[in-house]
Amino acid sequence: MNELYHVEGTLNRGFVGQITYMVCLEKPCDKLDIHFTFDKRKRKYAPREATPERIAETIEVVRRDYGEEITEERAREIILNDMKTEIHTLATLNDEFIGCIHKQLADRHMLYDGEFASEGCIPQQKIDGVLKVTVLVFNVIKDNTRYQLTVSAE
Amino acid sequence: MFKRYELHNHTDQSDAKITCRELIGIMEKDRVDCFAVTDHNTTSGQPIIRKILSEEDHKVKCLYGMEYTTYYGHIVCPVLEQYVPWDSINRRNPELLFEACKKAGAVTGVAHPFSYGDPFARGCRFEMEIKDFTNVDYIEIINNPEPLHEVNVPGILWWEDLVLKGEKISACAGMDLHTFKDKMAKKFATYIEGTDDGDPAEELRTALAAQRTWVSSGMLVTWEIKKDSVRFALRNMKKPGAARSNTYTLTLKNRDGVREFDLSGGSLTLPLDELSDIEIPKLYAGEPIPENLRCVAPVIRK
Repeated sequence: MNELYHVEGTLNRGFVGQITYMVCLEKPCDKLDIHFTFDKRKRKYAPREATPERIAETIEVVRRDYGEEITEERAREIILNDMKTEIHTLATLNDEFIGCIHKQLADRHMLYDGEFASEGCIPQQKIDGVLKVTVLVFNVIKDNTRYQLTVSAE
Repeated sequence: MFKRYELHNHTDQSDAKITCRELIGIMEKDRVDCFAVTDHNTTSGQPIIRKILSEEDHKVKCLYGMEYTTYYGHIVCPVLEQYVPWDSINRRNPELLFEACKKAGAVTGVAHPFSYGDPFARGCRFEMEIKDFTNVDYIEIINNPEPLHEVNVPGILWWEDLVLKGEKISACAGMDLHTFKDKMAKKFATYIEGTDDGDPAEELRTALAAQRTWVSSGMLVTWEIKKDSVRFALRNMKKPGAARSNTYTLTLKNRDGVREFDLSGGSLTLPLDELSDIEIPKLYAGEPIPENLRCVAPVIRK
């Protein structure tokens, strides 16, 4: 496949929202690959980073939002195991929805041709026009979370 | 006749561990009349299930939908055949998305409103501020995998509060099926009235418009107003694996409180003038505590 577009970026902690990239396909294609990777999906912190301040902050959030009292050990468990950077990728072709990947794969491909599409995606008989790829950012745990997006076609 | 609907199910097109074909099999095996495919943020399972059901002989019907999985909560649409973008989601004005979905012919529900969100799972708790419920068809008052007291009871109470304030919103349940491990025995489903050859999406729309939905684990309590009285009756849906009981308690909740009645005999008639303008009937197996809840019936409006 030929690479049509490549971008790399970083996300700051706490960002919620989406970033959309538009690619004008110069000619009709038979196959399309939208490849997305990002790092630091899980294990936000190394055990040593579950500091007393972060534990206290987590206890306070749970108390405020859920009315529950949790132990320091549970807060530590949440910090190390539950919290994660969560990003979805969504694609449209000429403003028609053609798929979204919800599975939290740190390395994922959205593959398309006339008969086949990867999970979450809809096969496309005609791959032509304007492709929009949207990176939907639900949660970013740490500053400078890197991602890469590559669009290739054949 | 009553039909059992399972309105909230996932496949491997989003994050479930079951394929579209396996989902059909699970539903047929449990004698479901109609199920919805509601994958997270994708409609890609719809054509796969359509193809299977059109080419093979299956009794179960399907509704083609999606679960909007946003930063501020999930909106489950058991019917959404035309994808509606959600990139302009506004936490303080979610009415725009509900309205756009309804204009596209969707059925809209608030999913697991009190689920745990951040820092456990961002986006799962419904944090949108709805001021106008016009385009909200239902609230998923019971999401079966969620904990009863922490998540589902607050959901029931929120729905009751809205109903008693005069909102016309139905109540539904969801399996939120993701794996083969999610067993359906003793879990809550949504029941509506329909006919043998009725269109499943239209029958659901009709039921929701009239707020004629039952959330039940197998036993329904029905009511009928006849001149000066209202008659309540038990009705066994013979849901596979449903728990049985010898004693049943009917509760009626209105703005003044909750009253209890023994319904172990199978039926009960009350004078109509003993009912207030809005009553929410619920059925319990024995003592009326959350663990014993068996059915939430359509609201009685005089």
